[in-house]
Amino acid sequence: MQRTILAAALAAGTILGAGSAQADETVRFWYHFDNADNPMSALVEKFEEENPGIRIEAENIPWNSYYDNLYTSIVAGNAPDAAMVKMFAQPRLLEMGALEPIGEMVEAWEGKADLLDNLLDLTKASDGNTYYLPIQYVVLYLYYRQDMLDELGLEVPGTCDEFRDVAMKLTRDTDGDGQPDIYGFGFRGGKGGHDHWGSFVLSRDVSFEPGGMLTEEAIAGTQFVVDLFREDKVFPPSAPNDGFKEVIGAFQAGKTAMTIHHIGSSADMVEALGDKVSATTVPECGGGRWTAFGDESTAILSSAQNKEAAWKWISFLSSAGNNALFNEATGQLPVTRTDSASWTLHEKRFVDATVNSLPFAELLPNVPETSDFVNTVWPVNMQRALTGEITARQMNEAIDALYNP
Amino acid sequence: MTDTPFSITAAGAPPKGGRASLARRVLPYAMLSPAVLVTLAIVFLPMAQAAWMSLHDYLLWKPSGFAFVGLKNFATALSDEVFWISLKNTAIWIGLTVPAQMLLGLVTALLLNQKFPWRPVARALIIIPWALPSVVIALMWVWIYDANYGVLNEFLLRMDILKTSIPWLADPDTALYAIILTLTWQGFPFFAVMILAGLQSIPRSYYEAASIDGASAWRQFWHITLPGISGVLVTAVLLRTIWVANSIDVIFVMTGGGPGYATYTLPLYAFIKSRTNLDFGYGSALAVMFTIMLLGFVILYLKRAGKAVN
Repeated sequence: MQRTILAAALAAGTILGAGSAQADETVRFWYHFDNADNPMSALVEKFEEENPGIRIEAENIPWNSYYDNLYTSIVAGNAPDAAMVKMFAQPRLLEMGALEPIGEMVEAWEGKADLLDNLLDLTKASDGNTYYLPIQYVVLYLYYRQDMLDELGLEVPGTCDEFRDVAMKLTRDTDGDGQPDIYGFGFRGGKGGHDHWGSFVLSRDVSFEPGGMLTEEAIAGTQFVVDLFREDKVFPPSAPNDGFKEVIGAFQAGKTAMTIHHIGSSADMVEALGDKVSATTVPECGGGRWTAFGDESTAILSSAQNKEAAWKWISFLSSAGNNALFNEATGQLPVTRTDSASWTLHEKRFVDATVNSLPFAELLPNVPETSDFVNTVWPVNMQRALTGEITARQMNEAIDALYNP
Repeated sequence: MTDTPFSITAAGAPPKGGRASLARRVLPYAMLSPAVLVTLAIVFLPMAQAAWMSLHDYLLWKPSGFAFVGLKNFATALSDEVFWISLKNTAIWIGLTVPAQMLLGLVTALLLNQKFPWRPVARALIIIPWALPSVVIALMWVWIYDANYGVLNEFLLRMDILKTSIPWLADPDTALYAIILTLTWQGFPFFAVMILAGLQSIPRSYYEAASIDGASAWRQFWHITLPGISGVLVTAVLLRTIWVANSIDVIFVMTGGGPGYATYTLPLYAFIKSRTNLDFGYGSALAVMFTIMLLGFVILYLKRAGKAVN
């Protein structure tokens, strides 16, 4: 009796197994979107209609732990088949052997010619192979309150000196209680704020090579940021701990008069402030300009069951039309020429600030250490420098020690 | 009940009865084993794994490099500035939070033990901070402490206690203490409820006898109440010390350890090292060191407190 049941169970299992193998191929895809209304379902639906036999399981992973989850899932053997990825993670993913080269597929792909210039070069790995397919991009620029500048008769700052001067004048006590109610600049001292620091420091004669952070220029750059907070007091007192939410919230609430972010927040800015908000390139500091290129690509993981289906899906997302749909959801900029030409989602002044920033937009070094720089070394040392626990030199030394042990 | 099979065996039962007694002896183990196996799998196995990993260089993103390094990670920790900062913060963290929670809990329990209208409602309400999820509490207090909109600054400014608002969580001198206050608020109901239960087990007649003898309220508290609840206190303090020591959720949400290392405690440092820097070797070593320290503290505490209670 028992044997019969066992045999029946086995047979049923075999049939079920065979059945599922014949059914749709499934591509598990991980992504991160800030906005809550999920736009992925429309794209998935469209793709599944065009590609019968492939099923997409798209999962929105919270940004704060996106990479923690990705790395641990790879080690645990439970990685997705394809995922949204940024350049700073590429060296580690390569080291883990987790990425599938897609160079040949990109070459053979009809959509390649429609990709914007340079994007494939920018996302090429240090070993010369292509693993990433660009899907969206942003460039960081300076937001400012046009109405406050007008009120005080100030010009939009073009250099670091002008920036400091304007920020000090914009820091005002408006209700006469002896405390500033508006601060000149909303600085992001928490995780992710390295882009702010970069615009004031990496624009100078500075590098991540041995000793490159220890030059007088480099230390003067960090000192400039520290002084803005400690001496000039143009950042809100909470700046050392402030993250994305606080910086954007304070600007929208009129607590700060300038900050640095990208076009992804422009719709919310306009909704809160209307014509009072505008944007320009980050100031020129120490003779140069530097701003962060915010990249986002998709990649196929080497553990993927069906790489061809995964490629179909990610190339679908970077094709004209679909890419526009994707970027309308994320609020960033499309990577195809066709979609860029007909792009109307953002107001012109923000698109202009982005385009004008492109010539000096750069990525952080494409090495494994950059992950630790972004996640711990920069925030911890910046916070310590801002609160006076360490000097600007000590902060730069910590960065130098990370990149050049 | 456990005596029964033993007594049968000892009495030299007949063979048939011996089999039955064997079955009866095995049965408890058989019924316990699922729970034991689960505990072994989800508690002891990871613990052993952490101890094993702490002896290795193990960066998660370098799966090929799992090299045995002996006690290197432990030696590195001892010369690591952040380890010592975190250890100091952990000592302040436990040393202030647990006594503060206990004192507040004691006062609350004494109040709730008095007779007053709506007492059951007050008793139910007092448990709210304990019942709220830590993340909710942390976010709520982040807003209370906010330098621009926070109600705490607003209140102190209007009372003329402060001249300018203080960024409680962004200032390394105040951040840790601000979080300690939050955790004190969260944890005191636990003490209040435990102590209240202890108070209710003290017979009324003791107090009546004491007041006939002319003992003051303070002497009644010192000689009757305190000894009456000492057993409860010892247990509650032990439990809370372990929980508070290991609790990182509130710190993680409120400051993430910042500004700088101002709110790093050892468990948080171990977590950030492993989860963010993916350095599981070093992270495990930190966790193992902290476990040993906490274990030492608990043993010492039980010895001294046990003696005091007796």
